[in-house]
Amino acid sequence: MRDTYLIAMNELRVTMRNPFWSVSGLFQPIIYLLLFGPLLNGVAGARGFPDGNAIQFFAPGLLVMNALFGAGFEGFTLRDKLDSGFLERLRVTPISRLALALGFILQSSVNLVIQSIALIACSFFFGLQLHILGAAALIPLVVLIGISMASVSYRLALVIREGGILAGIINTFVLPAMILSGIMLPVTFGPRIIQIAARFDPFFYAVNASRALINGAFADGSVVAAFAIFAALAVVTLAIFIRGMREAVA
Amino acid sequence: MAPIILTEKLSKTFARGKADAVEAVRAIDLEVDAGEIFGLLGPNGAGKSTTMRMLCTLLLPSAGRATVTGFDLATEAHEIRRRIGYVGQKGGLEQVATGRENLMLHAQLYRMSRSEARRRIDLLAERLRLGAFIDRKAETYSGGQRRVLDLASGVINAPELLFLDEPTTGLDPQSRARVWEEVKTVHEQGTTIFLTTHYLEEADALCDRVAIVDLGRVVALGTPAELKKQIAGDIVTLGYDDERQAGAAAALLDGNPLVLERHRAGTMLQIHVDRGDEALPALLRVVGQGNYPAKSVHLSRPSLDDVFLKLTGRSLRETDPMAC
Repeated sequence: MRDTYLIAMNELRVTMRNPFWSVSGLFQPIIYLLLFGPLLNGVAGARGFPDGNAIQFFAPGLLVMNALFGAGFEGFTLRDKLDSGFLERLRVTPISRLALALGFILQSSVNLVIQSIALIACSFFFGLQLHILGAAALIPLVVLIGISMASVSYRLALVIREGGILAGIINTFVLPAMILSGIMLPVTFGPRIIQIAARFDPFFYAVNASRALINGAFADGSVVAAFAIFAALAVVTLAIFIRGMREAVA
Repeated sequence: MAPIILTEKLSKTFARGKADAVEAVRAIDLEVDAGEIFGLLGPNGAGKSTTMRMLCTLLLPSAGRATVTGFDLATEAHEIRRRIGYVGQKGGLEQVATGRENLMLHAQLYRMSRSEARRRIDLLAERLRLGAFIDRKAETYSGGQRRVLDLASGVINAPELLFLDEPTTGLDPQSRARVWEEVKTVHEQGTTIFLTTHYLEEADALCDRVAIVDLGRVVALGTPAELKKQIAGDIVTLGYDDERQAGAAAALLDGNPLVLERHRAGTMLQIHVDRGDEALPALLRVVGQGNYPAKSVHLSRPSLDDVFLKLTGRSLRETDPMAC
């Protein structure tokens, strides 16, 4: 446990040292908020667009998107650690592989929580009306998404040495998952086939849950579904990552 | 006293695809005693690092067994990890953290309390002369400073046995001398050292015993002096413009009574003789009269490179990309 904490603290300190990294992590969602959010105002009245203004629709999805991309590309951090020999150096110490894996996950989760709070605060200034308890309940969901994405990304980074290939593989999964989730535009705008495909995208439920929670609609069906799906995904992917860490000889 | 490292037919085969497997290490038997500086010398790709990585618990052997610090590699890796230090080729420092922070993290991973760790770091800073740079970020270090800090991180837990993988590769001569000095300091504190190198001078300068490895096998083992004694007398090296000329000159020396042994490595022709000072004029006359006068001449005492050449038919320097 102490080892997990030590690794996570070290990683966080390193992240904080490099201000560009923490800022660049938030850069993308803030650009969306600034430039894409206003575009949505034009379609807010369209048929099939949920009630409420554009920011109410877009900001909650942005939190999910930040987890999807931010944690999804965490693998690159691990790739750097492998290339610099830092991970190898840790692997000859008595620290357990479990603690090592959890340390990285903890680091990415803490990072994500800080970013999410910053994003909620930003959105608030853009006019987001938020239900405080709902927003608080949204954080654990974001963390579960983050754990799932980071675990997959880390696991891939253990076996894929080439950064470009790693990016390609991650993008192949992340982009369709994002578009089908209805973060940018409601999937109800699309043909039936898109709407059906969205049902198979776990992020579709996460985005809906996120919108429900920000309005305090705890009873919404998507909330239970999203928590159940991502709790299960987090457990499975984390187990896969830990297994990989035990076997890794990179 | 039991050896600190004992291997029996230790082997590693990397499966690259289904068809071609690479036998990186082939049934190596080694015995390293506590208190030694033991070196694995060989060209790149000889299997030195793979052997070391197995002994450090970073790689699982494909076959064979080993004990390190008295514990079984296959079943007691955890015990071994507490008793060894390891400095890999890449070092593994966190670049944006200071030297002290790097050492603190590792000290704490070895279950030291913060105050214990602080004392240990102060002690190492003094012994290994880290004072000038320990509080700067690692990314600002020179190559030599980085290596010395790597070394400090390798001995943070006061290991019985320290592994150094190519400790001075890529360093300038001054930094290399500095690293050698600090390695000796660590050794004087009672730490056994196991290192790999492809620098002959390094093996010569540091090691009590050297195992020469080539293509995953140990081809010779002994003190540097013993190994060099395998080559009698002196060595005359004649340089030519191309390999054909060197080959033709070699043919001219066939059956010459002065020549104990000869090897051609590229455009160089090496001739082992009893007394270099007397043989040199005679040899030059022979190749000169045969119309293959040497372009350059060098007379030397045998080095570990010559031992390597004699054992494997290849020069260590030829295989060293740094020398090109």
